[in-house]
Amino acid sequence: MFRLFSLAVSFWLLLSSSLFAQSLQDILQTHAAEVAKPSRSSVSVVLDDLVASGLPQALPFLEAWRDREIVQRESDGLFFRSTETAGEVQLLDLDSGEMIAAGDQDLQKVRPNGGVRRAIGDALVQFQLSDPDIIKRQAAVDAIARSMDASQLGPLQASVAGETDANLKRVKQRLAGMLVATFGETPQDRIAAIEELSGDLSVDTRAVLNTILATNSAVSETLPEEGNLAKVLTIGEDISPEDAYSRLVAENLAPAPVSKVAIRDALLAHMDGGSVGGVPVSELGSDVTRARAYDRLAEDGLVPPRVSEAARTEAVAAHKFYLEYVESDPSVTDAARAALNGIETSVALSQTVDLGLDALSLASIYFLAAIGLAITFGVMGVINMAHGEFIMMGAYTGYVVQQFVPDYTVSIIIALPLAFAITFAAGVAMERLVIRHLYHRPLETLLATFGISIALQQLAKNIFGTQARPLTSPEWLDGALVFNDVIAISYIRIAIFVLALLFLMVILFVLKRTRLGLEVRAVTQNPGMAASMGINPDRINMMTFGLGSGIAGIAGVAIGLYAKVTSEMGADYIVQSFMTVVVGGVGNVWGTLAGASLIGFLQKGIEWLNPSNTLAAQTYMILFIILFIQFRPKGIVALKGRAAAD
Amino acid sequence: MRKTFLSQNPSVLIFIALLAVFTIVVTLLSEVTGVGLISTSFVKTLGKTLCLSLVAIAMDVVWGYCGILSLGHFAFFGIGGYAIGMWLMYARTEGIVMTSLASQPLPPTPAEISDAIGNQIFGVVGSSEFPLIWAFADNLFVQLLMVVLVPGLLALVFGWLAFRSRVTGVYLSILTQAMTLALALYLFQNDSGLRGNNGLSGLQNIPGFEETSQAKVSIAFFIASAFALGAAYIGFAWIVSGKMGSIVQGIRDNEARVRFLGYHVESYKLFIFTTTAVAAGIAGALYYPQAGIINPGEVAPIASIYLAVWVAIGGRGRLYGAVIGAVFVSLLSSWFTGGGAPNVNLGFYTIQWTDWWLVLLGMSFVAVTLYFPKGIGGLFDYLVRKPS
Repeated sequence: MFRLFSLAVSFWLLLSSSLFAQSLQDILQTHAAEVAKPSRSSVSVVLDDLVASGLPQALPFLEAWRDREIVQRESDGLFFRSTETAGEVQLLDLDSGEMIAAGDQDLQKVRPNGGVRRAIGDALVQFQLSDPDIIKRQAAVDAIARSMDASQLGPLQASVAGETDANLKRVKQRLAGMLVATFGETPQDRIAAIEELSGDLSVDTRAVLNTILATNSAVSETLPEEGNLAKVLTIGEDISPEDAYSRLVAENLAPAPVSKVAIRDALLAHMDGGSVGGVPVSELGSDVTRARAYDRLAEDGLVPPRVSEAARTEAVAAHKFYLEYVESDPSVTDAARAALNGIETSVALSQTVDLGLDALSLASIYFLAAIGLAITFGVMGVINMAHGEFIMMGAYTGYVVQQFVPDYTVSIIIALPLAFAITFAAGVAMERLVIRHLYHRPLETLLATFGISIALQQLAKNIFGTQARPLTSPEWLDGALVFNDVIAISYIRIAIFVLALLFLMVILFVLKRTRLGLEVRAVTQNPGMAASMGINPDRINMMTFGLGSGIAGIAGVAIGLYAKVTSEMGADYIVQSFMTVVVGGVGNVWGTLAGASLIGFLQKGIEWLNPSNTLAAQTYMILFIILFIQFRPKGIVALKGRAAAD
Repeated sequence: MRKTFLSQNPSVLIFIALLAVFTIVVTLLSEVTGVGLISTSFVKTLGKTLCLSLVAIAMDVVWGYCGILSLGHFAFFGIGGYAIGMWLMYARTEGIVMTSLASQPLPPTPAEISDAIGNQIFGVVGSSEFPLIWAFADNLFVQLLMVVLVPGLLALVFGWLAFRSRVTGVYLSILTQAMTLALALYLFQNDSGLRGNNGLSGLQNIPGFEETSQAKVSIAFFIASAFALGAAYIGFAWIVSGKMGSIVQGIRDNEARVRFLGYHVESYKLFIFTTTAVAAGIAGALYYPQAGIINPGEVAPIASIYLAVWVAIGGRGRLYGAVIGAVFVSLLSSWFTGGGAPNVNLGFYTIQWTDWWLVLLGMSFVAVTLYFPKGIGGLFDYLVRKPS
């Protein structure tokens, strides 16, 4: 190990100064015998000299040597690299890289054996770890991290001191720490390294600790005195009786049980005319008769006897099943166990925080999708099934703008107000043409807006096609805010969260602090009275509906950044949006916030219980909501008094 | 009573007569009699349309007469289809498996048979275990019972919960839509035990009638559908006339007033909701053997909304209106989407109806809601002037 260390250091010194203007061929000729017929013991001299020479062409030579591409010309003993192009062998000069036609010269192939090739590989790692090109160094470190091996520890540690890049140096030190923890020479070294790792939540650290804690399952009649015992398995709890018995069979401690398939095969093999073992074939349609026939065959010694249930239980009971650490030193495994437990606790904690963040971002998406609805449905009481299509229109607006404005930041800045304007206009038009006539027939509003919804959806399909269109986010929204290895949240989700908050404030401001808001609330509570106060209810309804639709358009741009833009994207959100408004409590923006939070957190919570199945999570969430509405029909934030009247 | 019922509902006699004539004509012109003017596939389309009319009648009763805009009746229709589909699929697979096992030298054990059937049915979702809900799939009688019981019980429980908490109007619609969505999402899962996205297939092959030609089978189902439609028409017409019908329509017009008059509104609504759900389940059980395949997409909330569209276009509050709507829209829809309608060339753009049909349907639906709330059925009012 020290040799490798000094070797790498000397290589570094020489690389920078490159004192000797020697050619590679010269060095090889000095050690011609060792190069031509290398052995595990003699090769190190050559490698030392090559590394010491600091020649840039040494690296490709080493690779070629390892890959058995080096040949020796018998006439003068010179070494070349041979390549074969179009069936013709060509020789490459090792120093100049010049091509020489091989002709019919006598060439001797250099064939290093496995041990030598490993030694060359180690030397190569040193070259790469100290390569002046940072990309190659990075690649070498990644290669080590992918397949850790004891032999890599020396070169890696040696290269740490000379590492110029601070980031890569940290990575190398961390990797060296992992290697020491796994392959260190003394238990003290390893325990120290393990303790060093214990603050690290990353997946590879956990993998390293798990490798140290790897166990073999074993079975014997009594527990062994020696060895590093991890756990004694209890039958029925840690291991099922069936698994325990098959382990006994695998260890040749018990006879193999005869499976149903084996019985069938044995019966087929010993079929004798119309019967097997004295039982007619036509009766062999049940397990009982098949067992009887098989037992008869066993009595005749034609097949191995069946193992009875009692014999199996007895065999299992007579043995101890346990797990044994591969690592023999208990102090190391104890330290690793303690470190892993510590890490797992903090990982679990971080995961909870991460889940909370996920839920928060899902809640803000639901909130965004539902907030426009909270105005049209919640405040005005108009069911707008085409609300989802307004979201879709907003998203497509963003897509179209991006076709004309290539700069993503600018295009988003243009798209947001444009989406508002377009969906505002669409909303006003819909209110004027359709909804105005149906204010006293809410169920028919539902149906008419549904008709508009399918028409708009199909229209979008006709214009933009069925495939998903991308809405690319600006670069500064790429990536994620990373707190540690477990907690991370993408900037887009943060942006959506901020946008949701912004919307909440804007809407509260408009409804509570502006003339329009006052008039909206007046018209909602009592249109007749409002009209006699000089408010034009028609105009207010139109404006309110336009506002709700316009907000849906902006939400569409935001949702489009996060998900794909398709003609069906609105339909995906519509039911959830209505749920959000209904669960939260109709007629109240705070209610929508509460509803979105409840649904978002609930869905993430259920997904966490059953992570493989988001469909199930949605199913259970909807069932929960249906039940919830049974007990709080007016939602979380229920209006009281006159405003609550339907 | 019978006399009053018929004199109150002259449409029943006309409808039954028309249905009978239609059934007989189709049967005579089908391939079974050798005339072959109506192809087997069109007989199936007509049979399916009859089933859709049946579920449309159910929808009309619950919405047009009782005022409950249920967006879940197509879910009940789907449940009926799944219930019968389980038996069809099980029995057919059992037949295939038994044939292939019979050629083996040893007679199979019950466990081997069940394993082989399970493999055939659930192989696509990576399983061979029979889920608990398939426990009675081998029993036609139990599965037929399920066609009625599962939608009925679901509607009973759901309706009881919803009506008890006085969830009405649009809230109820959204709640029923949520129920439908939950059911569809559940069915979409691979581990729901109903083959997830693949659904149940091969339902057009009726076990025990493998030798019978599809022409005969489809005519049999067509006639059965016609009978079911006729029976449901009479049944529902009887329910919505008389005292019960008056109360139900009173609930639609002013629920609070009916309650103040001393009627237990919730019981009436629950009765209507459950009965129509059962009818929808039966319609589904007749529909899917003709369609041949059922998958969760059929149960999706959109289907239930289309059901409302049919009824609205046909004319709410009159049973024949629902039938007209279902027949008219579903046949028109398959004509347009099947490429039957000629494309319109505007010079600068060609309107292809396969693409534009939904736009047309959506817009005409808006127009009907706005300007013809009585739907197509309303036209009859101009023809038949009631003596006032």
